[in-house]
Amino acid sequence: MGHILENLKAFWQFTGFANFEWGYLIMIVIGCAFIFMAIKYEWEPMLLVPIGFGILIGNIPLFAGLNVGVYEEGSVLNILYQGVQRGFYPPLIFLGIGAMTDFSSLIANPKLLLIGAAAQFGIFGAYAISLALGFDAAQAGAIGIIGGADGPTAIFLSSRLAPTLMGAIAVSAYSYMALVPVIQPPIMRLLTTKKERLIRMKPPRPVSPTEKKLFPIIGFLLTAFIVPSGIPLLGMLFFGNLLKESGVTKRLANTASGPLVDIVTILIGVTVGASTQASQFLRWESVKIFIIGALSFVIATFAGVLFVKFFNLFLKEGNKINPLIGNSGVSAVPDAARVSNNVGLEYDPKNYLLMHAMGPNVAGVIGSAVAAGMLLGFLG
Amino acid sequence: MKHIKLFLAVVGLTLCFTAGAQSQDAMRLNEYLVVNTDDFQDDFGQQNAWIELFNSSYGTVDIAGCFLSDDPDNLKKYAIPGGDLQTKVKPRQHVLFWADNQPYRGTFHVSFDLANAKEIIFTKGDGKTIIDRIPVRHDLGENIAFGRVEDGIGSVDGSEEGWAVMDRTSPSTNNSLIDKAAKPDRMKAIDPYGWILALTAMSVVFLALILLYFIFKAIGNANIRAGKKRSAASVGTEVEQSAYGEVPGEVYAAIATAMHLYQEDDEGHDEESFVVTLHHTDRTYSPWSSKIYTLRQTPAVNKRR
Repeated sequence: MGHILENLKAFWQFTGFANFEWGYLIMIVIGCAFIFMAIKYEWEPMLLVPIGFGILIGNIPLFAGLNVGVYEEGSVLNILYQGVQRGFYPPLIFLGIGAMTDFSSLIANPKLLLIGAAAQFGIFGAYAISLALGFDAAQAGAIGIIGGADGPTAIFLSSRLAPTLMGAIAVSAYSYMALVPVIQPPIMRLLTTKKERLIRMKPPRPVSPTEKKLFPIIGFLLTAFIVPSGIPLLGMLFFGNLLKESGVTKRLANTASGPLVDIVTILIGVTVGASTQASQFLRWESVKIFIIGALSFVIATFAGVLFVKFFNLFLKEGNKINPLIGNSGVSAVPDAARVSNNVGLEYDPKNYLLMHAMGPNVAGVIGSAVAAGMLLGFLG
Repeated sequence: MKHIKLFLAVVGLTLCFTAGAQSQDAMRLNEYLVVNTDDFQDDFGQQNAWIELFNSSYGTVDIAGCFLSDDPDNLKKYAIPGGDLQTKVKPRQHVLFWADNQPYRGTFHVSFDLANAKEIIFTKGDGKTIIDRIPVRHDLGENIAFGRVEDGIGSVDGSEEGWAVMDRTSPSTNNSLIDKAAKPDRMKAIDPYGWILALTAMSVVFLALILLYFIFKAIGNANIRAGKKRSAASVGTEVEQSAYGEVPGEVYAAIATAMHLYQEDDEGHDEESFVVTLHHTDRTYSPWSSKIYTLRQTPAVNKRR
């Protein structure tokens, strides 16, 4: 009997109840909130469901030495987490993004590229704020990239510049990407007049297949020559797009944009979620990162919308751009473009801005990858 | 076939060019020690003068066939032999040569010493192109090395710019300690508020996307012109129309609607048969999911007559 009691006592020591701390419960609640937001409101469900469940996985109180935790070397979760730590998941996601992105609207109206550039002010605004709040330059760079509104880029850069902050940065980036429909519209309304919101843009011209094939090749060569440190992201993005547009690699494009990107999304979501163990995540730094992350999205939206208004000063009547697509310069594809469209429709039910907004939206992906390359070059 | 040959020739030439460009030119004389009494020992347990080379590139460099010399009139004094895997210097790595005038001891023992040398010269495989040279100082004292303050950084013309007397010898390793945090720290010291980085990086982002804008604007215009030419050629006369790219979406919608209506009016659409057919639906059967296999056989009652 005594022996059985001893074994039961030992078993109890292994359970999550015996190792419970309040931090774990808070994280479990956060994880459940992510899952709830994803299922109830359909905010980025592809990301928030894996991340939310990953948070649950990562916050089961563990007996040290069980070799199952994400930070325990050699554990299954730790092996899967290598893709995040060593940064090989994000380029694979970019391959898929490239293979599923149609750059036609951008090619048809290349001036929209500049909006994608302007919105990157969010990154550097967040960088400056992070420095002011006492983060070192490398950490500030990693936090700043949240303003790019691009989860894979945020993971890629933070794994190199500030691995200890990666969990908070990734969760912050993905959370705010999901909250784009909440964060951006008030700023867009604040900065635009009713007349501006009613601007109707010319329909984009048809783009020839040759232009579509040339875009990834020229786009890659140009951006990679300027920022070689962005090659992993830019290379895979444009390579994926060439698979799509070449017309002769349909199977590869389908794999890249389908099963491959799905698998990597699952792995990246679950492991990033699991990396947010209470002991690592519930720190004052994480709170600051979340505040800076929100501000970065606000700055990016401000910059994008104001840039369009400024740009319009130089454009002839009839060629003007609706400033409601300025928010799409952040690269939360396609949510930011959808926000532009929805806000536009509120003021003119026949003014569909989606196709126009996709231009700056995909330009934002390129812009944030270039900005990440710059940060890596300066701070890595 | 002609195209394939041309392609292969271009690729071959490019590879040759880039290989040559990124290879031996990236090697640097990095540090040397003239009087070695209590410093690094060679593989024979002897202390001799040494010369350190550094691969400043991010690709592996094969230095086989290059030359080391202490005599400007005889650049080919010591030819680095081929066939030794160790002559392939990995990116940002060092290689050490013993200046002991005993070349028979191996690849990394050169055929001169530094006792009376005036300078050290590293020459390319052609035996003419000097990649790097540095005068030899004889006033340094025992076990005091002279080298580049930062690996690979500084002059290659013998002017000693970027070179200094070393606090410590560092054969086959970095001349200055690499502190991973140093770069961000330096950046924060130069730019405490982040404005310089913000402006620089934003300029680069804009530059990259502006260049893309100009290129695709040009390609787009060329495409529109080509489209006009094609349509003019196909009609046989000059076609007066707006630019190819400026046809509004409504036009396409109107054309599509007109075609659809035409088909309807013309009864182009198939007539429906109005026959409803009920198909039997087969369920996928698998013994793994069959309950039958999990049940015991019903016991049979044997009646004796």
